[in-house]
Amino acid sequence: MGDAVPQLLVNGIALGSAYALIALGFVLVINAVGAVNFAQGDLVMAGGFVAVIAGEALTGRLGGGSAWTGVLVLPLTMLAMAGFGLLFSLLAYVPLRRRPPVSVFISTIAVGLIIQHAANAGFGPEPRIGPALIQADALRLGPIALSVQQIAVIGAAGLLIGLTGLLLTRTQLGRYLRAAAQDPEIAEALGIHGARCIAVTFALAVALAGAAGMLLSNHFFVAPADGGLFMLKAYIAVTLGGWGRLDGAALAALLIGVFEVVTAAYLSYVVAEALLYAALLLVLLVRPSGLLGETIQRRT
Amino acid sequence: MTAPILTLESVSVDRSGARVVRDFTATVGAGEVVAVLGSNGAGKSSLLRAVIGLEETSAGRMMLCGEDLAGKLPRERAAAGIGYCPEGRRLFPGLTVEENLAVVFDGSARARKARIEEMLDRFPALIAKRRDRAWSLSGGQQQMLAIARAIMNSPNLVLLDEPTLGLAPMIVEEVLESVRTIAANGAGVLLAEQNVGPALRVADRVLVIARGDIVYEERAENLSAEQIAGIMLTGDRSATTAASVTG
Amino acid sequence: MARNRSFWIMAALLVLPVAAALALGGYEQRIMTLAGIYAIAVLGYQLIFGRLGALSLAQGCFFGIGAYVTGLAGVHLGWGFIASFPASLAVPALIAGLVAIPVLRLESHYFALATLGISQIALLIGVNWTEVTGGANGLYGVPGIRIAGISLFSSEAMLLMVWGTLAAAVLAFGALTRGRRARRLALLRESPEAAAAVGIDIGSNRLILFVASAAFGGGAGALQAHTIGVVSPAVLDFQIMVTILAMTVIGGRGHPAGAILGALLLAHLPEWFRFLESHYLIAYGTALLVAVIIMPEGLAGCFGRWLSVRDPTPPEIKRPVPARVSEPGGELRLCNLRKTYGGVTAVDGASLTVAPGRIVGLIGPNGSGKSTLINLATGLQGQESGTVHLGPVDLSRSPPHIRARAGLARTFQSPAGNANRTPLESVLAACPPDLTDEDAEALAMHCLERAGLEHLSGKPAGPPSPAEARGLDLARALATCPTILLLDEPAAGLAPGERADLADRLKRLAAEGLGLLIVDHSMDFLLPLADRIVCLATGTVVAEGTPEAVSKDPEAIAAYFGSRPT
Repeated sequence: MGDAVPQLLVNGIALGSAYALIALGFVLVINAVGAVNFAQGDLVMAGGFVAVIAGEALTGRLGGGSAWTGVLVLPLTMLAMAGFGLLFSLLAYVPLRRRPPVSVFISTIAVGLIIQHAANAGFGPEPRIGPALIQADALRLGPIALSVQQIAVIGAAGLLIGLTGLLLTRTQLGRYLRAAAQDPEIAEALGIHGARCIAVTFALAVALAGAAGMLLSNHFFVAPADGGLFMLKAYIAVTLGGWGRLDGAALAALLIGVFEVVTAAYLSYVVAEALLYAALLLVLLVRPSGLLGETIQRRT
Repeated sequence: MTAPILTLESVSVDRSGARVVRDFTATVGAGEVVAVLGSNGAGKSSLLRAVIGLEETSAGRMMLCGEDLAGKLPRERAAAGIGYCPEGRRLFPGLTVEENLAVVFDGSARARKARIEEMLDRFPALIAKRRDRAWSLSGGQQQMLAIARAIMNSPNLVLLDEPTLGLAPMIVEEVLESVRTIAANGAGVLLAEQNVGPALRVADRVLVIARGDIVYEERAENLSAEQIAGIMLTGDRSATTAASVTG
Repeated sequence: MARNRSFWIMAALLVLPVAAALALGGYEQRIMTLAGIYAIAVLGYQLIFGRLGALSLAQGCFFGIGAYVTGLAGVHLGWGFIASFPASLAVPALIAGLVAIPVLRLESHYFALATLGISQIALLIGVNWTEVTGGANGLYGVPGIRIAGISLFSSEAMLLMVWGTLAAAVLAFGALTRGRRARRLALLRESPEAAAAVGIDIGSNRLILFVASAAFGGGAGALQAHTIGVVSPAVLDFQIMVTILAMTVIGGRGHPAGAILGALLLAHLPEWFRFLESHYLIAYGTALLVAVIIMPEGLAGCFGRWLSVRDPTPPEIKRPVPARVSEPGGELRLCNLRKTYGGVTAVDGASLTVAPGRIVGLIGPNGSGKSTLINLATGLQGQESGTVHLGPVDLSRSPPHIRARAGLARTFQSPAGNANRTPLESVLAACPPDLTDEDAEALAMHCLERAGLEHLSGKPAGPPSPAEARGLDLARALATCPTILLLDEPAAGLAPGERADLADRLKRLAAEGLGLLIVDHSMDFLLPLADRIVCLATGTVVAEGTPEAVSKDPEAIAAYFGSRPT
């Protein structure tokens, strides 16, 4: 069993880093419009199916088994999902932007339902397998075997998280997004185009969800009903990590992934899930504002 | 004399049905500091918010360098040359000092960097804090940053809403000095204050408003702080004499 | 008249669908039975989501728990309906009561997640505790309903049973939200602070509705189990929650008619979209999205005016005003109150006294702690040290609603206004609950009169003007029959004429024996009004005395010009 521990950890980190992408997109939207995007999980699932389609199309073009298929599918998926994110915001957010946040909560539940059942109509309820990010044999270090595919997933997710971080902190666009999220009114009064920032945020958030969907679609497959659990994990990560905190959410998502994989291996998946929800309720009981505390950002 | 930077003609602002600013008429010329004095709730903030476009006017006309501001969005007014330093500073708390300045700048990356350095030179208190997040600054530093942010794009008109509120006397002096510099560089300043003493020391002209009405208008050098504080405390012009006797 | 119309509409909504189903027979009866079951669950959800405004995601879970209780009791224990149905109401209610304590104080998004987490745990148990729940296969052979030896196995009997229960549920819903309680809940939903300030106990009101909503959900689940004879984990699936939510949003979250309309519509949706086969849920999602965008009040909201038109003329009330109106009481003594937030001392050892029949003016520049002082006195914020006494009673640690009931009332700087449709209803929310309806109406009218709003009493209010909102806030405060009244900037935003009028009214209140503390930032309003002025600066009392003395007090003047010239 000991030799399996490193692989277990790699699997956990891979899952957790995909969760982190989902949670990042989730928080970005919360910060930008103050509303929970209940469809985030279904958008992950949609990304998985986009990856399935793109993978099949590319395999047709490039011939089967090209090692580069997955590497091309990832950006294609993100691009398609970014466009879908704009459409999503037009449907679920823009008509309700002057209403209380609970309206957006409900509208995203509705759009999530539409996405889920549209996928069901298009692909059927059975799980489908997405393209592998890269194709390579297991990496052997003495008695330890590590899945290169999973390591690549960690690398890709890490790269995307890093790029998102750079975009937000090092570019003028990122500063616009953060400023408009922190104080939309004053941002507007100082010359920043708030509506455009919100549109870009939705595109980015949904692209990240799509990337997670692509990265998860090979190892875990993708099925139309998957969305709910992804959304829950992101929601829990954001709560544990401190409402509105990007770093906290990503870190909590990573830990949730590792916890889930390790607990599932030694006990069972059911126990892992149950413990996760119990931990969530416990945290809400003792720290009603999240484990790491809410972000200092306050709207007046 | 050329057209004033800002012309307000009989401007009224309603807020959920109440007239919070009534028939406000004033001009701000280039290089001039005009102070609007009044206690909390007198309508000063609403007036400034109306000028930048965050509040709708229900009557009257506002012109920036002779151009009507009607129908322009806040961000368009910002681009047209109005810098705004809101009540309570309203910095972007999660952005660093540099980022707070960078994010409002309109221009190339190189010009942006140069302008940030210029601003830090002008507000040396911020240099050591340039990479700290805005929420971690002291009140005085936050105020300096809010003023610096308002003038990043070298606006023609600067709106300052209660810039001395809650600051220690020494910091107030620094804030006043920066206001003088802004005016000396040719911009018009519309300053809303409830602290009369400090306002009188930078203003060229003073307007006292109570519940939306201008109750008093005077060149600053003709007034004492005690006189105006008396007007504000009692809301009544006739109380000036009584107040100035004791003051 | 209005009550009658509402009654007939509800009666029609309960009878017509049943009659139609009985006439159409067979399949339609099954759909209508399902609609009735869901309508019960939706009624429960309206209590928590509609009346309290809390987005619970546990209503589907309570539905499922009710179904499992009936299933387990019927299959394993052999209980009949008479025993299992009460258990199916009680178990979800009990669970709701247990989780309510930590969960109900959470803010919206945490509340939604916590209730979702509870639902997920229930689902995991339902799927995995195979020995008891039958796991994914569920429990087969749930017995049909048999009452007093009569079997209700036919689809007609089941239809009548379900809709009969629904009628009972509508009555229970009415009992929970009737009359002045509805007014109180509306105020509580709009502004918990304003509700507490007029003596409404927020915690117990929330608890009652949450527990009741769970019982409604459980009852619906029990009927579902009897109807289809099977209980599987599908009843705990999030899909049920989405269905209930969709029915509530589409039907309308406020009026019981909305529950029936929403359930009727969405139960038939799969039929109408049969050509989509199993993908009718796309249509479901689309309907929900469209509904939330174009009808924020739902179907019942579209018919709302028609559903519950009120007589626009105010009720003629010629009864004597109940005796309890604002009897002179003890004086309010605030002693050495202190409050800091985030390192800033907002109130720093302030003391003051308000005697019955006297008017005290509280002035001070922006940020001097005037509003915080009122919040400390009324318990909206807790002080770090110092005491609050009303007459002989120590209120220093009492929650706001207790202080309000003890005779300490207040108005707000930005008052709540829109929750109830008419000013009269709004004031009724604040009347002491132990008054009879007639006495309460008489008291409310009297308070509206004293606040100068009698002409508006029965008018369905649009957004009130600032003067009206302030008047309403004052009338609400008076309706609690206070002995001391604290007014936070009552003159802000008023035109000069309105200010003079307000000053007259306040003088009359003091003459009645009420003690008043009036906050304002300058003295022009208070000068002719107050017996005494207290000037606050940076949280401490810097000047106190007659208005004339304070207006010449150097400390008071200094407070207004801020930092002195150095």
